Parts: sequence; structure tokens; C-alpha cells
Amino acid sequence: MRLSLFLPLHRLLLTGVLGLALAGAAQAHPDSSGPPDQFVLATANAALDALKDNGRIKEGDAQHINAIVDQYVLPYVNFQKTTRLAAGRHWRNATDAQKTALADAFRGTLVRTYSGALIRATQDTTIQLLPFRGQPSDDDVVVRTLISQANGQPVQVDYRLEKTPQGWRIYDVNVEGIWLIENYRNQFSQEINQNGIDGLIQALNQRNQ
Amino acid sequence: MNKSAYTRLAAIATTSALVAGCAAPQNPDPRDPWEGFNRGVYKFNDTVDRALLKPVSQAYVFVTPEPVRDCVHNIFSNAGEVWSAANSFLQGRGHDFVNTLGRFMFNTTMGIGGCFDVASANGARKIPNDFGTTLGVWGLGQGPYVVLPLLGASTVRDTVGLAGDVTGNPLGMTRIDNVPLRNSLWGLRVVDTRASMLDTTKMIDRVALDPYSFIRDAYLQRRAAMVLGSRATDESNLPKYEDSDNDPDLTPIVK
Repeated sequence: MRLSLFLPLHRLLLTGVLGLALAGAAQAHPDSSGPPDQFVLATANAALDALKDNGRIKEGDAQHINAIVDQYVLPYVNFQKTTRLAAGRHWRNATDAQKTALADAFRGTLVRTYSGALIRATQDTTIQLLPFRGQPSDDDVVVRTLISQANGQPVQVDYRLEKTPQGWRIYDVNVEGIWLIENYRNQFSQEINQNGIDGLIQALNQRNQ
Repeated sequence: MNKSAYTRLAAIATTSALVAGCAAPQNPDPRDPWEGFNRGVYKFNDTVDRALLKPVSQAYVFVTPEPVRDCVHNIFSNAGEVWSAANSFLQGRGHDFVNTLGRFMFNTTMGIGGCFDVASANGARKIPNDFGTTLGVWGLGQGPYVVLPLLGASTVRDTVGLAGDVTGNPLGMTRIDNVPLRNSLWGLRVVDTRASMLDTTKMIDRVALDPYSFIRDAYLQRRAAMVLGSRATDESNLPKYEDSDNDPDLTPIVK
């Protein structure tokens, strides 16, 4: 049944973004200048432990989770780059003020996605690394992980990271074959063609309310 | 549901699609030349879903304990494994073929007819596969994107693949001769499938700017990754995002 092909979407939105959020939400500061796969794993595990300790996560306290996402995820995710790549060729036509407003508006969408995902974290959630295929000298790498839950299929989540002067930063995430940026490019382009960049910012902000 | 009921539903879907789908798309995507029509079918599916499928699935989740739902879900999933394995074989993916058959045997016996997914618990993940993917591996292009009435996202190739799945699956529903039993199982399977997507559709409602595009792009990405198999994460297959900050002279890519 073709409907079952939507299941990866479920993973994209719930588990995958959970992975990204977990990867970013560290209590101890992982070594972001070391090997990228170890960096992702260390961050993910530190975050997972913190989440398991926190009873309020299980109650699905959305505001609290929003705060956690804001506090822990953002430092390790390059939202500016995510937004820039999602906007594609339209980015060049945007003014600096529009670029800032667009990144802020899109960040809201992503944070909301992460927060929805964090509600799903349980005591049984574990993360493991799949073999790293990149070269140590690369500055744009993919780290592949597997997230396991007790009552469901494990889900493969890949992160795309780039090396910055501040260390590794995540800018894209893939869940079971679906890249996040790729999935927003058409929607951005569509909205910009219809209502311009300000229209897109407005549409994103409307969803943030 | 008998065949004439399907025909009637398809006719209703087609009519409403034609009525709703006249507006030309604002942002044409070469992979989706029938967008106007597809959006009509999408709207029809969405209406049926909100009026019928979603409430029924929510009721199912409300009244059925989670272990029972997991069991139902796992049994349906397990019954599809032999056909998945056959497709892995047809694609020349011997490793996947052996693993999926192993999963089926382990879950059918130790997992009590597939009720418990003991193979996953022991580290053998499910490897989803189907005939549409096989056709893709054999070199058939995906063809235009198409939204099927009630079934949702597909492509021309995957629709052919779906017909292959229905007739080819040795443990498929069509193998059951007892009509009331078969129909009941179909109903349960539809509800099970929809129930497993409740969280997903809720999230799509929250995060998608345009749910139609969101689902289409996710579907096409996912299917392309399934055809590539383990090569999907090779560097040459990563998305190449046009980055205007790093390369200002880059010619705009019109999708």
C-alpha cells in the first residue's frame, strides 16, 4: 500500500529532527573541533542523558522544550546556512534586512519541529554511529547515525556538517533518504514567486504564532 | 469494498480533481507536469481523510492498547517481508535478500507470527522494498509524479510497481479467498497504516508551508534514495545546494 511510503515522513519529522535536536543539545560541551562523528555522538548522548533525567520532558511541556531547543540546539546548528541554501538563488535578491528576517522566521519553523520531536524521547531511546565514510581532511562531511526506540523500527539519521573556524556545525539533516533543506527549497521558491521574499517571511511568521 | 465501488470512488475523485485542478501551478516543477490535476486529487484525498480515515484512526488509537496496536502493525509488516526479500533478490541486493528472509523467519517463529519484532530488537533492521524500487533499479525512470485517489503520492513507475506488489506478494491480501475476512483485514490494515501516520500528519500541518509540495518532495527524495540503496549517502549523491554566498557567479538553477 502506497500510504506506507509516508512513514519516512513520520520519521523525518519526529525522530529525525529529534536526532538533530539531541545532537545539538549538550550539557557538557563536546569537542566540536575533533572528529565530526565523535562530536555528533558525544553531543547526542550528553543530550539524551539530560533528557532522560528531566521528568518534564515526558509530560510534553512544550514551552520548556522550546527553551531547551533554543538554549542547546542553536549553538551547534548553522541556521543561517540552512536558510540560505533553502532559499537558493533567491537569497541573492534579498536585502540584508530580509535575509536576517527570513533566517529568524525559518528558525521558528525548525525550533517548532524540534520541540514536537523532543516530546517523543523516551527512556529507551539510544543513538549509535554507523561507519564514517568521509576523509579526516574533509571540511564538509556526512555523519550517519541510527536512532533506536523500544517500540519501533530504528531510524537512520544523517547529519551534514561543515567545518567552521568555531568547529563543526550541522546545517542539514537526512532521515531515511529525505534531506531537510531539499524539502523546503520548492516551498520557498513557490512562496517567493507568488508573494516575494516578504511574503515568505510573513508566511513563516504566521506559522510561528 | 467491491470493484464497482472502487470505480465509483475513482470517478468521484477524477471529477473533483478536474473541477478543482484547473488553476495552472504557480511554480511548475518538471517532475510534476500534472500538478493541477494532482492537487485536485490531493484535495479530494485530504477531504476524505479528515472526514473519515483520520477520525476512525484516532478512535482506534483511543480504544486499543498500544501493545495490541504494535502487534497488529508488526504482523502486517511481517507479512510483507517475503515480497520485500523477493524484490531485494530481483535487484541483485543479495545481502538485503538474506537479511530480510532471516527477519521473516525469526519474527514468524520467535516473534509469534510477527506479533513481536524480535529481529529489530536484536539489531536486524527492516529493509523496506517493493516492485516500484525494483523497476527503478532496473533503469526505468520514475516518470511524472502522480497523486492516486485514496492511495496518495506516487509516480507513473511506482503505480506500475504497486500493481506488481498487489499481484506478486505471496502473502498479500488477494491470496485470501474468504471475502468477509479479506475485507476486514483490509479495513484493519488501512486503519493501522493511517494510525501510524497520525503524528506525521499533525507535524506536517504544523511545519509545512505547502503540504502538497512538502509531501511530493519528500516522496520523490525518499524513492530516489531507495533506488540508490546503500549508495544514497555517497558523496556524489549528496544534494548539491546552490550557494550564492560562496559562488556569486553561479548561473541560477531553474528547477
